Amino acid sequence: MIEDPNTLLIIGGASAVAFYMSWSIGANDVSNAMGTAVGAKAITYKQAVLIAGVLVFLGAVLVGPHVSETIKCGIVKTDSIPPNIVILGFISSLLAAAIWSTLATWKEMPISTTHAIIGALMGFGIIVGGVSCVNWPKIGSVAASWILSPIFGCILAFIVFKIIVKLIFAKKDPVKSAKIVGPAIIGVTALLITASFLLKTPFSKNANISDFQGLVISIIVSIIVGCIGFILLRKIQTKEEGSYFTVESMFTKLQVGTSCYVAFSIGANDVANAIGPVAAIIPIAETGELNLTSAIPTWLLLLGGIGIAFGAFTWGKRVMKTIGNRITSLTNTRGFSVDFAAATTVLVASKMGLPVSTSHTVVGAVIGVGLARGLDAVDLSVIKKIIVSWLLTLPIAAGTSIGIFLLLRTIFV
Amino acid sequence: MVEEEEHFRAPLTDTFRKKSPFAQLLEHMGKVKECIGILKEGLVKYYNGDYQGFTELSKKVSEIEHEADIIKGNIRNHLPSSIFMPVDKGRFLWALREQDSILDHAENLVEMLDMRHTKIPKELQPLFIEHCKLVMETVEAMELAVENIRDLVETGFSKHEREQTKQYIHKVHNWEYIADQKRYEATRGIYKLEKKLDPMDVYHLLKIIDWVDDIADHAENVADWLRSMIAK
Repeated sequence: MIEDPNTLLIIGGASAVAFYMSWSIGANDVSNAMGTAVGAKAITYKQAVLIAGVLVFLGAVLVGPHVSETIKCGIVKTDSIPPNIVILGFISSLLAAAIWSTLATWKEMPISTTHAIIGALMGFGIIVGGVSCVNWPKIGSVAASWILSPIFGCILAFIVFKIIVKLIFAKKDPVKSAKIVGPAIIGVTALLITASFLLKTPFSKNANISDFQGLVISIIVSIIVGCIGFILLRKIQTKEEGSYFTVESMFTKLQVGTSCYVAFSIGANDVANAIGPVAAIIPIAETGELNLTSAIPTWLLLLGGIGIAFGAFTWGKRVMKTIGNRITSLTNTRGFSVDFAAATTVLVASKMGLPVSTSHTVVGAVIGVGLARGLDAVDLSVIKKIIVSWLLTLPIAAGTSIGIFLLLRTIFV
Repeated sequence: MVEEEEHFRAPLTDTFRKKSPFAQLLEHMGKVKECIGILKEGLVKYYNGDYQGFTELSKKVSEIEHEADIIKGNIRNHLPSSIFMPVDKGRFLWALREQDSILDHAENLVEMLDMRHTKIPKELQPLFIEHCKLVMETVEAMELAVENIRDLVETGFSKHEREQTKQYIHKVHNWEYIADQKRYEATRGIYKLEKKLDPMDVYHLLKIIDWVDDIADHAENVADWLRSMIAK
């Protein structure tokens, strides 16, 4: 393994920073996932934190690697920069992004950790190699996905909610329809999750599963999950508060499913923010050269996964409590639509190697449900604030990264 | 510590307003309901010549009107310009305004009635009482129509619920029409007795029937705005 103590130190330090970063991701993004289910009193905080931790970990380890590639080598053209500077730069970017995320979380600003890390890498690239050193087309494509992901989330949420309205609420006996439609949607959720980690992942390569086999397995799993859902919902009777109320209470149970889905896709998508830069550092530290084709070591994914899960365990509960309390006006069918749309968008994006932000997608999904006339009111001024903070994240993270980098350079070089 | 937790994060969730405007509209309607409930009883007593406790009633109506005004102000002041609702915001505010007018007119009515205790002639008493009941029916039908908003929003304005709301609105129109007929009948009755009555009494009787009828008119307006609110 690694002989040189210096190398070990570098990797150890970078990993520690990556752990900090993944902790801050876990602390707030994961709570976003489970907040709706907790708010609807479908599960307790403790259960939520536990489930979220496990699922985020699984998502990170099983589906994560795709996105890491983009962050690892796409943002800054590192070929013209000396290796040791690259190491310093990546560590300072990581630290800047983590500090900014923690600070923003504390200050109640909704930022995206994805933005933070990309902004930080950008800042480092500009200070070291000038503007030309930054891979602008790559940043352009990532930025495009930031615009596309809310739109995609919006359309999906609109469609899912319209389906719920058409197939359940518009029917003569909404409860009866919900007993069939609900399990079907949960089946689709299961299909997407299993397909996402059976198709074209390291896991499927190791287990020698072809795409076709993966698809068949996914379909079987989804049918089983759908049947379980059907059995669980079968016995529910219309409550005296009315059939719509009963449908909502049925979706409470289904929402646990979609919340898990969101947690899983956050793990898959966001783990790259923390470990991507470290994955780039390791080969440099070991061989002194930047090796773009190196795979992300499994232990690093594990570290990221544990970090996010740890974040969810420690701070998650606290953040979740707030979300759970504030989200009361989002009824279960709406929460379900938003969660489903957001998770699907994020999962598909991370399969395509695009780092998208969960909060972007969720905002898009909320507007989607609103457009489907599903929400009493959406306060667009809050959404404006969120967009402003998104726009601020890039320059601020870049600035902080530059500052930390200069500081580290004077100390170490 | 609690403060801090409250301010922790999740601004996204702020987009869902703590109190939905529809819930507030229904809260305002709760006041209308309360007011109409006591008014119905008090008015019949007044028509029968029993003025005892009417001053207290007018005070109570005044109080309710004031409480409703506060709710109305709350909705108007806290409805941001950039709000995104399933219905047109302007129409929503018009419905609210008309709903509030019902209370304004109810307050005006009881104040005026209390200022001068006009004796209703024996021949007119049944007409007046019937008219009053029809007006209250109109308002109650309107209450049902507005309450259906909850189901409308819950189902994302499904066709089924829209049809149901339209049915309720239709009933409001129907009751208002019948109340109008009764009002003309009562007015005709007043003119028939004009020779026998004191001119001031005639004036006040005509006014009373107008004031009561105003309430039904505004209930109908609420229904109309509701109809345009749910139009596609």
